[in-house]
Amino acid sequence: MYSLSDVVVQDTLRGTFRLAAPEIVLLATACLVLLGGAFFNRRWLWFLVSFAGVIVAAIVAGTMKTAMPEAPNVASILPDAMAGFIRWLAIAFAGIFLLVCASETDRTNAAEYFGCSLVAAAGVSLAGRANDLVTLFLALELLSIPTYVLLYLPAKSKANQEAAAKYFYLSVLSSAVLLFGFSYLYGLAGSTNLTSIAGTLSKSNAEQTSPMALIAVVMAIAGIGFRITAVPFHFYAPDVYEGGPTGVVAQIAFWPKVAGLAALVRLLGLVSPDPLHPPFAPGSQVPLLLWIVAVLTMTFGNVLALLQDNVRRMLAYSGVAHGGYLLIGIVSASALPDAKTAPSVGGVEAILVYLAAYGAMTVGAFAVLQYLNAPEQPVESIDDLAGLGTSKPISAACLGVFMLSMIGLPLTAGFVGKFMLFLGAMNAPTDSPSMGNLYQILVVVAAVNAAIGAIYYLRVVGVMYLRTALRPAPKTRAIGASFAALILAAATLILGFYPQPLVKAARKAAPIPALEAPSPAK
Amino acid sequence: MDQTLRVLVLLLVLLPFGAAACMPLFGRFARRMALYAAIGQMVITAVVVFGAVTTLNQRSRSEIEGRDLAYQHFHPNFIPGDPGLAGAEGSTQRTKWTLFSLTDRAPFENGTKHLPGPRVQFYLGVDGINLWLVVLCGIMMFPAIYASWNAVTEKPGTYYMWLFVLQGASIGAFLAFDVILFYIFFELTLFPAFFLIARWGTGSGRRDAARKFFLYTLAGSLLTLVGLIGVILTNPNPTTGQYTFSLPDLMRNVQERLNDKPEAIAGRIEWQTGLFFALIAGFLVKTPVWPFHTWLPSAYYEAPIGVTVLLSAVLAKLGCYGILRFVLTLTPDAALAYGLPVIGTLAAFGIVYGAFCAFGQRDLKMMVAYSSVSHLGFLVLGIFAFNAEGLTGAVLHMVNHGLSTGAMFAMLAFLLDRYRTTDMRPYGGLMGRYPGYAVLAFVVCLASVGLPGLNNFVSEMMMLAGLVDARNAGSPGLGLAIVAAAGILLSAWYVFTMLQRVFFQAHREPPANGPLPSRDVDRHEVFSLGGLAVLCLFLGLFPQTIARPMQADVRAISEMGELARDRARLLSMTAEEREKHLAQPKATPKMQPVATPKAKSKGKDKN
Repeated sequence: MYSLSDVVVQDTLRGTFRLAAPEIVLLATACLVLLGGAFFNRRWLWFLVSFAGVIVAAIVAGTMKTAMPEAPNVASILPDAMAGFIRWLAIAFAGIFLLVCASETDRTNAAEYFGCSLVAAAGVSLAGRANDLVTLFLALELLSIPTYVLLYLPAKSKANQEAAAKYFYLSVLSSAVLLFGFSYLYGLAGSTNLTSIAGTLSKSNAEQTSPMALIAVVMAIAGIGFRITAVPFHFYAPDVYEGGPTGVVAQIAFWPKVAGLAALVRLLGLVSPDPLHPPFAPGSQVPLLLWIVAVLTMTFGNVLALLQDNVRRMLAYSGVAHGGYLLIGIVSASALPDAKTAPSVGGVEAILVYLAAYGAMTVGAFAVLQYLNAPEQPVESIDDLAGLGTSKPISAACLGVFMLSMIGLPLTAGFVGKFMLFLGAMNAPTDSPSMGNLYQILVVVAAVNAAIGAIYYLRVVGVMYLRTALRPAPKTRAIGASFAALILAAATLILGFYPQPLVKAARKAAPIPALEAPSPAK
Repeated sequence: MDQTLRVLVLLLVLLPFGAAACMPLFGRFARRMALYAAIGQMVITAVVVFGAVTTLNQRSRSEIEGRDLAYQHFHPNFIPGDPGLAGAEGSTQRTKWTLFSLTDRAPFENGTKHLPGPRVQFYLGVDGINLWLVVLCGIMMFPAIYASWNAVTEKPGTYYMWLFVLQGASIGAFLAFDVILFYIFFELTLFPAFFLIARWGTGSGRRDAARKFFLYTLAGSLLTLVGLIGVILTNPNPTTGQYTFSLPDLMRNVQERLNDKPEAIAGRIEWQTGLFFALIAGFLVKTPVWPFHTWLPSAYYEAPIGVTVLLSAVLAKLGCYGILRFVLTLTPDAALAYGLPVIGTLAAFGIVYGAFCAFGQRDLKMMVAYSSVSHLGFLVLGIFAFNAEGLTGAVLHMVNHGLSTGAMFAMLAFLLDRYRTTDMRPYGGLMGRYPGYAVLAFVVCLASVGLPGLNNFVSEMMMLAGLVDARNAGSPGLGLAIVAAAGILLSAWYVFTMLQRVFFQAHREPPANGPLPSRDVDRHEVFSLGGLAVLCLFLGLFPQTIARPMQADVRAISEMGELARDRARLLSMTAEEREKHLAQPKATPKMQPVATPKAKSKGKDKN
């Protein structure tokens, strides 16, 4: 144990701000924009300032050299490889979201809109590197609070207000549940530092999992489950997606999933220095709980999405289903202690690849909707997209690519993500004493689910290309959104054709540890 | 020469995609450009065939003259990106073109050995089994384009674009020797077919038919993906513990891991059962085998006739090819144990069911569609006979059935062009009205029934011979052979009934399409339909031409069947019997005479 006067501890604490420099840049830009917005109502000015802030943050993130803190047991921020991956994801999508949202703002609320978006991005990036319960909670709130504001900003209709209120109350509730779990964790480990909590718990749970630890982790999973729309915490999603402004819904569809999964990975100790001895071993029933949640989430999401006629509600349930697929990665990552040989694909690695693919396709789909969404004729039901293939061929092609990627057809990023998840889970041991071959069954369930999912995604493609338009093509000027959709469609295809860079980056971010006794499989 | 062929094999896949990219630019001239592209593709295919046949024949001979036959696996030739020297001897049978790799880390962390991680590669190659299917893909483009020549007027550029994507994806799937690459191409066929059926289809139910086709096939193939991943992960290299996506390496791993003490392999064989059913799911739907065929009649009926030609001739073969290439080789023991009893029974039921359904149809397109279900059941039986005769017959039948069923559908294009209907009832006595057409139609119909001297006869006889195999003790092969033979009889029944109604009896015809009186076969039709009829005749007379180059590869699979039979026998014995059996050194199946050459000469004698 360290004492506060140790040089190592002092260095670590002093270095903390340095480790969060890009996030600080984002927040500073946000403050500037929010303050300045009170005096100048210029939409494009604040757009450019915000965009410049994102670029500066990217430059800072790319050039600033950081070293791992010498005392991870005290460090509240851990700049490990996974944190780097999530930071780049956050910065890239911060830029994309500015483009997607630009057309939705008007002179009165542009500055607030852009400022809150930047704060949310900073929160996600921080959640990826938080190594302390308090930092983690603050990062998650840094994401949630601007989202409440964003949801309420253009709230003109009853549906808008309902969405904002619903999200607010449930989000606050979930934060409370999360805090409850955190308090137990603190009580058990006597520290708020995640590294030392993982160390203490893995030692104390080695023989038998303590019931207190189980309560703590179940509460934490419940709180995070709200963010990744895991069943049964998904009820808000369809209403919020339907009522919220498109650009904000795109953010809600993506940011909380990234932050929530990063938090879950950290809490369960899946990328800790010693992932072979995580706090909750496969025998502790926590992986089993996650298994059940994953199955329920993907099945409910897909089946309910089948019944939707509203395109946003459909995307909401599709987001629920994708949350279920992402949980496969957590389940297979937690199987590592039982593995006899090093797996080819780690669960966390697969999650990171899938998150990038998911971001590209989901945000892309919302960007297309944003582009098509003219005030006089909003896109609501799936039938509103009829005939898009002839009236707006480029938007239709982009949306088609995103839908195919969501189905998981080869040559799209979605396929690479699913392939990695499936491979990771199939690679989990088949004879683990507590889970048996449940990992493999999970893959079969996911495959069946992917087939069910194809039904409603294909419906969108069919409506766009095979039906004649019911109404004249909307006149829109959302250049930013169309630009974002094109970038994301290109990314989806490029990563589908040549996934090597993404896969490599993900592997670097979540390396698979060497197993102690390597024995050739015979 | 070898270097050139490597480039040409790559071109075989790339050219259709390149043609597809150009097609929308040509607008209403697209059909002529499509024809030129198809001719270009055929020229390349012909060069590859001439180059490959010598090599393949050479190999067939050298393998039969005797080498160590243990650990049989496929030997792809002319691999684009082969790091080895030119020439058959210098070929490493591997490629260095990696799409993505999973781990760059060695499985051992001791620093002495750094193995490359498992990698998905752009691994194409030609061997005796896929060569003829690629040729089939090339040939069938002609009737497909001919059948669309006048029929497709709406956005022809896009139509031909999807048609070439479909062709390119099928060729890619046939040529792929990397399991994931195969899967990628296999799934890539879905999307063009979906659009072709849903946008250019003729009936009112075309969207539902296209959706059904897409979703059924996707659902099946996702399970196949799970099965493929499962096989890869349960069969790492026994010495290095490394996973592989390359089919030849994977086959070698499967065989090496099964070459062990009976006690050790019992568990591994048990594992195969689940993987077998997962693997085969996608192929059962794609082929299709009863009761997974329900997408087929509607898809074939609603699709524009040119697309139906490609669907029936090429895409249906992807399913059988997948069973032959992946299911038999990766789960040989389960394929032996469950192939004939379970899948074979379904297929046999499908033969009879399809035949009766075909007889009941009043629409020619539906009749051919159901007859296709019936014939493909036969093909699946032949594959699961799992011996040299059955497999040779099955590969031959893939080509033959592609030709004859594709030709049957192309024949209907003639009627559709002139009368816009394929309903059988308004037709009668066409023999007198279109004598030229009638002759071509007779040849194709007789070929499809299996008349001696025409192509289907040879392959059907070989598959029957494979089913009546005394080595498959206790398997229902004989009973299934009887059902299959009855299927041939039934097919004669419905085809001749159709011929009698449409071509004989009193002359009747539906209202013509257009003011001019319809003429008999024109230049295009003679070229595309006549060409197919001549090919049917040629393959009936000289099946050896295409049977010889595939010998070595068919033998690789049938040898696996022999080894699997031996394992099954060993496992069913008691411990004492087993010891006695293992004491005889000469009784290993490796030394058994292989039936391949005999089967070939038998096929020849009949003609």
